[in-house]
Amino acid sequence: MNQEYPFKIYKKPNLRTPSLVLGWSEDVGNLGRKVTDYLNRKLKGQEFAEIAPEDFFSLGGVSIRDDLAQFPESKFYACQEHELMVFQSDSPRAEWYKFLSSVFDVAVHHCQVKELYILGAMVTMSAHTTPRELFAVVNSPEMKEVLGQYDLARDMDYQTPPGERPTLNSFLLWVAKGRNAPGISLWVSIPFYLAAMEDPQAQKKVLSFLDERLDLKIDFGELDREIRDQNEKLAQVRSRFPQIDDYIHRLESNLMLSEEENGELIKKIEDFLREGG
Amino acid sequence: MGIRLYTAPRLENPILVASWPGIGNIGIIAVDTLRGILGAEEFGEIEPWDFFYPKRALIRKGILEYLEFPNSKFYFKRTEGKDLIFFIGEEQPTEGGRMYAEGRKAYQMANFVLDIAEKFKCHRVYTSGAAVALTHHTIKPRVWAVPNSENLIPELKGYENTVLMSDIEDRGGHGNITGLNGLLLGVAKKRGFEAICLMGEIPIYLQGLPLSYPKASKSVLEVLSYSLKIEVNLDQLDELAERVERRIEEFYQQIPLEIRGQLDRLKYVTYAKPTEPGPITEEEERKIMEDVEMFFKKRGEGG
Repeated sequence: MNQEYPFKIYKKPNLRTPSLVLGWSEDVGNLGRKVTDYLNRKLKGQEFAEIAPEDFFSLGGVSIRDDLAQFPESKFYACQEHELMVFQSDSPRAEWYKFLSSVFDVAVHHCQVKELYILGAMVTMSAHTTPRELFAVVNSPEMKEVLGQYDLARDMDYQTPPGERPTLNSFLLWVAKGRNAPGISLWVSIPFYLAAMEDPQAQKKVLSFLDERLDLKIDFGELDREIRDQNEKLAQVRSRFPQIDDYIHRLESNLMLSEEENGELIKKIEDFLREGG
Repeated sequence: MGIRLYTAPRLENPILVASWPGIGNIGIIAVDTLRGILGAEEFGEIEPWDFFYPKRALIRKGILEYLEFPNSKFYFKRTEGKDLIFFIGEEQPTEGGRMYAEGRKAYQMANFVLDIAEKFKCHRVYTSGAAVALTHHTIKPRVWAVPNSENLIPELKGYENTVLMSDIEDRGGHGNITGLNGLLLGVAKKRGFEAICLMGEIPIYLQGLPLSYPKASKSVLEVLSYSLKIEVNLDQLDELAERVERRIEEFYQQIPLEIRGQLDRLKYVTYAKPTEPGPITEEEERKIMEDVEMFFKKRGEGG
């Protein structure tokens, strides 16, 4: 790896015109990591390239997560039989344009990627029993047209509020536009009390879309079991704690909770799921 | 990544005046006010994406329409006998959550600005920023002037309400100018441009507030316009300064009486040389600083 090209391709995969699915490691509901892990596991993704961390992450030490020392990773995987590439990465902390350009150098210049799918999750004030919604933001009217046949909300209006900054996904979508690469930023809804945990239902919503769109023939058995397990745990919380059941019931009836009630619900659910039910 | 010029104006012997945001936005308000008063025309920019994270996204009906980045723009104005180029950077290219630019990006941006100075054969560069000082907000801010060449010192000594670092109490001619407003001065020296940084004083207890300090911008602009031999009407800056002053006064009244009493003594600071005894002793100065820091720390913790 050198200054000019901060990436290394170990072995160029044998793909013709693949699609690229991209997920960040630390997002709402851990969605990016979980979905890209699932794709790699079920579709036999093989690591073939990486972006070096030194330009993009603070390397003044290591962070610790779940008792383990972490180190930033930005890796490409190839799922040879499915014309699919997967990119799983920590979010860069600096030199964002250079980082995103490197993603495109590997994906488009070296691997002829034809479409880009960027994974994201958004927090909603809804109950876990409410079906997850999937929103799409695209970088061209043509791509919007193509997505018409799928179960997606495609008419989102949004402007970055004052004092906030756009998401890295928007930045990536913009870079893709500059490179004439059709890109789709996918946003799945996740109930606020699962945002710091995991939400297999949201993962399935995204994976189902990718499965249909890219004809991946994903085996959902493992994920269905996770959904069932989590639903059972959440049902246990409700039956054990009437107050929590009341909060969730009110959310199911489209009623708002107070800030204090939100906090109580989050804490109880997180504690319960962390302890394993 | 690079510089994009929309036109190439013919300029005679121009002077470059550059600024980026900093404490109290003193420098950038001064420079941008002058640019506005003179009606300077935009003629180029530094492409932003390699320096900055975007500041705004607009999505309409599910399509990303555009992504807006902080601007770094060049303007020009032909005036009688003295043409001017302005550079206004909307943000400093920071990394890793720092407030000010430093390192490779900062150096690269400073060089881009000076590439334009070189292209148009500028013979002098001005930058502007803030000088955090033991002063009071009711006192007219002085301007600290730092040149990058000894030849400029006699000229600066002739400016009103302006001090060199060696004139400032206990500084002994030393100090730092953080961020690009300072770095440009150094890079200009390296590349053979004469350059001056003009810094308006801001009271030490206001430096952390999310408020601009146009009163000091006015002081800077008075010195800058004198140096450039340009007459400007600063009424608009007076109005802004009055508005901000009212907010500062509201804030000031919230400071506990004991600390405010200490700060009030800053009204009577005279700009004495270190050899002469001033109205506030070093010990008292230290106490004021400790009290102010403690107040802001508590305020921060308490939200």
